[in-house]
Amino acid sequence: MPDRYAVLPPLWAPRFFSVVAPALPHLILEVRSDMPAWKQAVIISCSIVIGLFVSAVILIGSGVPTADLIGEFAASVFDVRGFHAVLVQAAPLILVGVAASIGFRARFWNLGLEGQMVWGGIAATAVSIHEIGPEQLRLPFMALAAMLAGMGWVAIPTLFKLKFSVNEIIATLLLNYVATYFLYDLLYGSWKDPSDAYPHSAQYAAAERLPDIGFVNVGLPLALFFALIVWWLAELSRFGFYLKFIYANPAMARFVGVPIRSAVLAAVLISGALAALAGFVISSGSTGRLTQGFFEGYGFSGVLIAFLARNNAAAAAIVAILVAMLFVTGQSFQIFYQIPFSMVQMIQAIIVMCVAASEFFVRHRIRIQRRG
Amino acid sequence: MAAALELSGIRKSFGDFLALDNAELRVEYGEVHALLGENGAGKSSLMNVAAGLYSPDSGLISIAGAACRFSGPREAMQHGIGMIHQSFKLVKRFSVTENIHLANPRGPYHSGRKAILREISDKTRALGFGLDPYRRIDSLSIAEQQRVEIIKVLVAGAHILILDEPTAVLTEGESQRLLSMVREIAERGAAVVLVTHKLRDVKTFAHRVTVMRSGKTITTLDAQKATAEVLTMLTVGSTIIAPSRSAKPAGELRLAVSGLASRTIEGHTPLVNATFSVRSGEIYGIAGVGGNGQTELAAALVGGRLPNAGAIEIKQPGKEEMMDVTHATPRQRRDHGMAAVPADRQAFGLASSLSIVDNFAIGFMHQGRFGSPARIDRTSMGLATKEAVADFDVQGVRSLWQRAGLLSGGNAQKLILAREFSRAPSIIVAHSPTRGLDVRACAAVQERLLAARDRGAAVVLISEDLDEVLSISDRIGVMTRGRIVAEFDAPADRLAVGRAMVDHA
Repeated sequence: MPDRYAVLPPLWAPRFFSVVAPALPHLILEVRSDMPAWKQAVIISCSIVIGLFVSAVILIGSGVPTADLIGEFAASVFDVRGFHAVLVQAAPLILVGVAASIGFRARFWNLGLEGQMVWGGIAATAVSIHEIGPEQLRLPFMALAAMLAGMGWVAIPTLFKLKFSVNEIIATLLLNYVATYFLYDLLYGSWKDPSDAYPHSAQYAAAERLPDIGFVNVGLPLALFFALIVWWLAELSRFGFYLKFIYANPAMARFVGVPIRSAVLAAVLISGALAALAGFVISSGSTGRLTQGFFEGYGFSGVLIAFLARNNAAAAAIVAILVAMLFVTGQSFQIFYQIPFSMVQMIQAIIVMCVAASEFFVRHRIRIQRRG
Repeated sequence: MAAALELSGIRKSFGDFLALDNAELRVEYGEVHALLGENGAGKSSLMNVAAGLYSPDSGLISIAGAACRFSGPREAMQHGIGMIHQSFKLVKRFSVTENIHLANPRGPYHSGRKAILREISDKTRALGFGLDPYRRIDSLSIAEQQRVEIIKVLVAGAHILILDEPTAVLTEGESQRLLSMVREIAERGAAVVLVTHKLRDVKTFAHRVTVMRSGKTITTLDAQKATAEVLTMLTVGSTIIAPSRSAKPAGELRLAVSGLASRTIEGHTPLVNATFSVRSGEIYGIAGVGGNGQTELAAALVGGRLPNAGAIEIKQPGKEEMMDVTHATPRQRRDHGMAAVPADRQAFGLASSLSIVDNFAIGFMHQGRFGSPARIDRTSMGLATKEAVADFDVQGVRSLWQRAGLLSGGNAQKLILAREFSRAPSIIVAHSPTRGLDVRACAAVQERLLAARDRGAAVVLISEDLDEVLSISDRIGVMTRGRIVAEFDAPADRLAVGRAMVDHA
């Protein structure tokens, strides 16, 4: 039942037994119990537009001509090169977005996406450096190694959570730093590229790069395939049905026979594996080697995508493409207007705030009532 | 003299639902005025209007003869209306004084706090009970927290008190104490509205009673002169037939609990050597004053908390051997034919944000009734739920895919019963299955328990409602301080059972 708890009063309010009440309009907030999905979608879309508008104002303020602002953004879709860049950029973003979604569905707040990406990159590169397996199978081996490494890395905080109730938000976040410093240790140490002595690994062989199929490399179809699998698992499978209850009411789920531990573990392992796969897609598909900062910004973006997509894998794929547009536009701003790339993160943050604030309109109804 | 509180022609709708339809209420100073009605009759809505939480679509509120209009609860409070809600509005980690001070700021912090302390001790002394103002809320019992709420509104200067189902969460003894205190407050000149669905509370403690049914106020009567039958007729609109006992003898042993003991957790009475057994076709009622280990017993039986010592053994129909399930998971117990009706429906019975279909289907999902692991079968889930909802008479279902949280208490409980009993369980553990339900829903739930019993299930009914235990149990065990201290065969003498409950305390 709606509960009315807050009222915005007119400037002066009649006190104590007033007989004649003035006819002033009165804003009343009511809690909504339910809202159709399409209305929620409209509200969220509006808040994203508001967020983009606020971002645009800030960008114009920092020196981007208004016409260029729209032009660059449009170029990311309508320009062939720009669109290609967006699609290549979208692949890892889809993977981290889906990875975050499936973890969140099990109420496991995986903020260690970047650490898992790092391990995905390290494992894939290890396969490349040690030339494990025949050349034709090298890529699948690298992908598999990446996914196993990601699962292993996320298994640590998961077991700590299940065994000792250690908060996974902190554990996964801090383990990012452990993974990053281990990466630095490799890149500045034994894996340093002997040809140029820069802190990155040696170039992958041609057979270790993701091949192009048609317009883009195989990374995007791979990411879409996994998004589809996760969508199926979450929406149509019994496992997904269990996750719904684990998310909604874990105490109750246990009493009606939901295997909580195994379902949570499975969801989290999938999450870790997909994040690590994103690391592999970047190093094999874009950079062609293990670099120092290939994972930066993806952790936050993955969480953002899952949040905007309401943890739905299919929606996450769509949102990820929009975020990829933002990334590509940000890169050209960086080149042409010397605007730091962190501007992209700021825009993402503004959008998150707008969408989070729009929750208010999803939960409440505002009515205007006349007094008297 | 003008009435303390007068509500007239109150209408209030939520969306399409008309919650209050031309409701009228007149409460005088010096009386306890009961507001009686089933769940969803509009009692709480009407009182939320009086307390400024809802603003009515139309109608008049007047206090001591003067018309007023509230912009919110704070303004209602300034007019002397204090409402004590079913779920207490207290900050658990704050002390009694801090909570009361928070609601009643009195100038600068330190002097305000002193004033509040003084007022608390004045009020508690006047009402004749002790209350340590420095205790933290979460260390108080439910009954004590309720007293804090009452003191809170009295300190705020309330002269019209509204209590919303105050006895729903209390044991019998606590209820009696609370209601006599409330009557005392009224006799000193305040006006008290007692929202309730318990006839006995009305008959014993109210001066006048207004009956509500589907958003309308039906009539106001003298509580002492009106008979229980008349009041029941008025609230329900039709008479309720009390469930009757079957003559069939109990069958073979189904559940044997021996020497059950549990760890001491603060605020809970541990189990100490609890021993009893239940046969097929029998309802074993466990009576007792609340807080004597019932919660621990239920948790041990359904697998929520494992006991320290003792054994729980079950026998499924058609099996020769007893099976030890003392350390089994809730899921294993379900697979061996156990079903549970939890006391806390919101926490353990339903996932209120998920649909009715989901909440029904989850009980059968792991057994593969609704599709393979790869693909759940929504169509058959929907069909089965539709059938069960009709079968168990779950009302207020606009769509099977609506959130289960939108169901009222009684219908939510019926949905839980539909899920638990459709599997034809051989052992049922029901903990306070009718707590907070109205007369009609109570009867429906009890009928379900009786039907399950007649089908051959062994039913453990843990309830603090002695009338319920007496009316439907075949055997009664009295639980005191974590053990079963006495057993009675039905029909049991109410007095003897009551004495057993108190003697060993």
